[in-house]
Amino acid sequence: MKLTRRDFIKVGAGLAAVGAAFPFVKPGASAGEQNPVAPKTARAATQSEKYLTTVCSMCPSGCGLQVRVVDGRAVKVEGNPLHPLNQGVCCPKGQASLEALYSPERLPSPLRRKVGKEVAASDLAQWEKISWDDALKIVADKLRALREQGQAHTVAVIAGGLRGQMRPLLQRFLSAYGSPNLLSADSLAGDAARLAMFAMQGINGYPVYDMDNARYVLCFGGSLLESSQHLQKFLSGYGFMHRGQSNRAKLVVVDSRFSVTAAKCDEWVPIRPGTLGALALGIAHVLIKSGAVNEPFVKNWTFGYEDFKDDQGKTHSGFKRLVLEQYTLERVQDITGIPGGTIAKLAGEFGANKPALAIIPTGRGDLASGNGLSSALAVHALNALVGSMDTPGGVQVQQYPAFAKWAALPGDAGAEKSRAQPRLDGAGADYPVALSAYASLGENLASGKPYAANALLLLNANPVHDAPQGQRFADALKKTPLVVSFSPTLDESAQYADLILPALTFFEMWQDDVVDGTGYPGIALRQPVVAPVRDGRNPGDVILQLAKSLGGNVAQALPWASFLDVIKFRVGGMGISWDDLVANGAWSALVYTSAQPGSKAWGQVVGRDRVNAPQDGRFDFFSRELFAALNNPADDAVCLPHFDLPAEPANAQFPFLLTCQEPMTQARYWHGIVPSLEEVYGLQVGMRWDSWVEIHPKAAEALGVRHGDLVWVESAQGKVRVRAKLVEGIWQNAINIPFGQGHASAAQWGRDNAGKRVIGVNPLQLVAARTEKNSGLPVIAPTRVKIRKTEG
Amino acid sequence: MPRWTMAIDLDKCLGCQACTLACRMENNTPIAGPEQANLGRAILWNEVIPQVEGEYPNVTARYIPRPCMHCEDSLCTKVCPVKATYMNEEGIVLVDYDRCIGCRFCTVACPYTTRYFNWHEPYYPESLKAHLNPDVPLRPKGVVEKCTFCVHRLHKARAKAEAEGRVFQASDYVPACVQTCTGRARYFGDLDDPTSLVSQLLKSPRAFHLLDELGTHPKVFYLREG
Repeated sequence: MKLTRRDFIKVGAGLAAVGAAFPFVKPGASAGEQNPVAPKTARAATQSEKYLTTVCSMCPSGCGLQVRVVDGRAVKVEGNPLHPLNQGVCCPKGQASLEALYSPERLPSPLRRKVGKEVAASDLAQWEKISWDDALKIVADKLRALREQGQAHTVAVIAGGLRGQMRPLLQRFLSAYGSPNLLSADSLAGDAARLAMFAMQGINGYPVYDMDNARYVLCFGGSLLESSQHLQKFLSGYGFMHRGQSNRAKLVVVDSRFSVTAAKCDEWVPIRPGTLGALALGIAHVLIKSGAVNEPFVKNWTFGYEDFKDDQGKTHSGFKRLVLEQYTLERVQDITGIPGGTIAKLAGEFGANKPALAIIPTGRGDLASGNGLSSALAVHALNALVGSMDTPGGVQVQQYPAFAKWAALPGDAGAEKSRAQPRLDGAGADYPVALSAYASLGENLASGKPYAANALLLLNANPVHDAPQGQRFADALKKTPLVVSFSPTLDESAQYADLILPALTFFEMWQDDVVDGTGYPGIALRQPVVAPVRDGRNPGDVILQLAKSLGGNVAQALPWASFLDVIKFRVGGMGISWDDLVANGAWSALVYTSAQPGSKAWGQVVGRDRVNAPQDGRFDFFSRELFAALNNPADDAVCLPHFDLPAEPANAQFPFLLTCQEPMTQARYWHGIVPSLEEVYGLQVGMRWDSWVEIHPKAAEALGVRHGDLVWVESAQGKVRVRAKLVEGIWQNAINIPFGQGHASAAQWGRDNAGKRVIGVNPLQLVAARTEKNSGLPVIAPTRVKIRKTEG
Repeated sequence: MPRWTMAIDLDKCLGCQACTLACRMENNTPIAGPEQANLGRAILWNEVIPQVEGEYPNVTARYIPRPCMHCEDSLCTKVCPVKATYMNEEGIVLVDYDRCIGCRFCTVACPYTTRYFNWHEPYYPESLKAHLNPDVPLRPKGVVEKCTFCVHRLHKARAKAEAEGRVFQASDYVPACVQTCTGRARYFGDLDDPTSLVSQLLKSPRAFHLLDELGTHPKVFYLREG
């Protein structure tokens, strides 16, 4: 910008005016006239101050919070020192969470759509207020009618981030009602890790990594210290690895991008996007070839390492032969782009430092290359090769508190018949080993496959925004006769709903939380630390009320008056004091005991939740669970850790590989209404209130793109306009756009902000809705894109 | 009188910015909004400064959380023409908002760029005013503000100790950023007490000050990686 003399005069005049005003300004004195409230500095003796606990819901970690409440207002959040996961600390998302509680974008009450379904009703004027009783009656009547017509299975709940008793409660509600469709949005993130745990170790749950005590941690994917499952556990573990012991442990991060995680680790290994699994197999190759494998463990406590014969006498290929024959250093070097010497060095370090740990990534956009499950298997196999199974510094297994058992579901022939119908997302049928198949859901719903949905309940899920090709979801929501959203704001999916029943936040309602990520069992409690700010309700209470209205076996299955009663019932079996739990906010066993292979406790570590494979205490390199679920596949490789090239073939028209990662400042469930997170959003590139695309300077030079230019990023699916940031730390033909931005915000942020704007871009607009074979995992990244400069 | 000091261990820091937002929520620094933030006017007393260096694949980065250094020989207090900014008897550099005339000499003098000018009245959507910390006043338009080591917490901790009839101890008080630090990378305490953890850490070979050569003698010091 060129400054003219006239500009100087203007600035000077402005300053003079400002200066003149100062002497009259007294902070706090003019509270009445000034726009901001000036808090009382001299605090009256009558002021009531208390600290109450709850559990954060900004990301899936579930850290305990301690909320400072003054005169009925929540004014500050700290970590709860008695919560086993975060032990008193609190990340930026938790810190800013009060902005979600008091957000101006929260809906005032239940709303009913006034306008036709073909439009996105993004304006409050397109909605009318409705009482809770009337709203619930509409839903109950519809559900009752559908059930009477034998259409119970066409009711689905699409839910993300269900915590504590909410998942079994919803499951129970739908089972009693007669629907198989509890559809999880969580498959966008860590399901590859969960599937690998189940397929190999027979454990239904996320792997728990004892990073604190590991000597060497090989982290696949670059989101461990920013957006992984059990995030705070790794943040604490990182400090402990470095400074908590006399002998410093080493953390290596393998990722195509120099993320904050990669920056903070001891060594960053850049890799071609989508090839993490191949590297794991290359490392396994070196470990096996060089004899660095933990032979006693592999021999006695694993299955499928060597070739074996099944009951029919058919010979199957073992892990060892597959790896030695197919994943030579030369081949892995070609696939991953990592020099063979580096791979050998990583393998040497991994084999020599005990305990060593290989971490499966659980961030959104990690392991989403169409080879997610096999890659997760390959990474997890490394832990078994060196015997890091339930040892200190190895892979641990989450234990759960001894909750009171649910009563058996009351029998109902109609419900049993209709819940045996296939699921709408194809999990269990099209995708035989999937926990859920979120990416295929939009297309299925929109095209009425395998049957048309008649009622959809959205809880903590915003598929129009957070699923690839969200527009297909919008089409589906338009077609569905009744769409009910529990969203507290008018988010992108709620705009297509018929009814909105706004949920309360975790500061305003009772909910429990099963502690995950510590290994030892624990439970934590969300409680109303302040009176509800808006006329919302606990979704758990809403479900219970619906059950009551539906009557019959549904009401029998869920006889509780409130969700609080459900929690009390379940916790009642644990033998701990309810009052202590309320006061402390959390209870945990605090001690994890590792099991010896072959001991009685070992059955809880390997094979606990197996269905088809024998619970023989053996870790499966050759997954017998997969073998059974895939119905004796002809190709042994699908049951073994192996590598498939990313689903995206080379394409000269779209030369770049787009990856997406969530930064630390990305809240998973409340994003878009937390302004302070936007204000510090992109730490590495100094980007606030916006998205950016990271490009390597050499690639940018060839395109004529400079740092800070606006560019179009275009795929076969769509295009987004975003600012380019040139960074050295990225694979040279990869680009990265942060995952999760692109929400519309209706509030005015800052005095000269016009309000109503979209903050950043949503990279999922560039991504096709594709689903990985068998596992149902979404295929998101890398996606092929091209970049061009915007005109002007 | 204690002399308050903060140590930040970069080997444990994760660049998560919890300190930045803990500070904001504790001290009521206003939301700037996109337009003002792009003008560099976001007020974040405790920003994390990224330094990324090197060429692919040998890239290194350092993230430096940067509160006010509360320098022993502070330049800001020297240049202030109205004695609005001063160091209190416990070594904390503060601003008297009533005296400040908004000349921003201190903002320019501070080599660490930790001082922020209020270009406007703080603006909040009405409902968000509910979470403002009642212990900290909002600053009016036209004054400079900065990290106070959460001095209001110190006052409260002293009053509490007094009310409980016991001697105030250094461990009774930490700033919000120290309390929240996810990597437990921050230490806070009394530099005049040779047995305090911060005094011990200052002797570490890893200890360093930012821009040591300027002779400002910052009271915030860092512990380098590795």
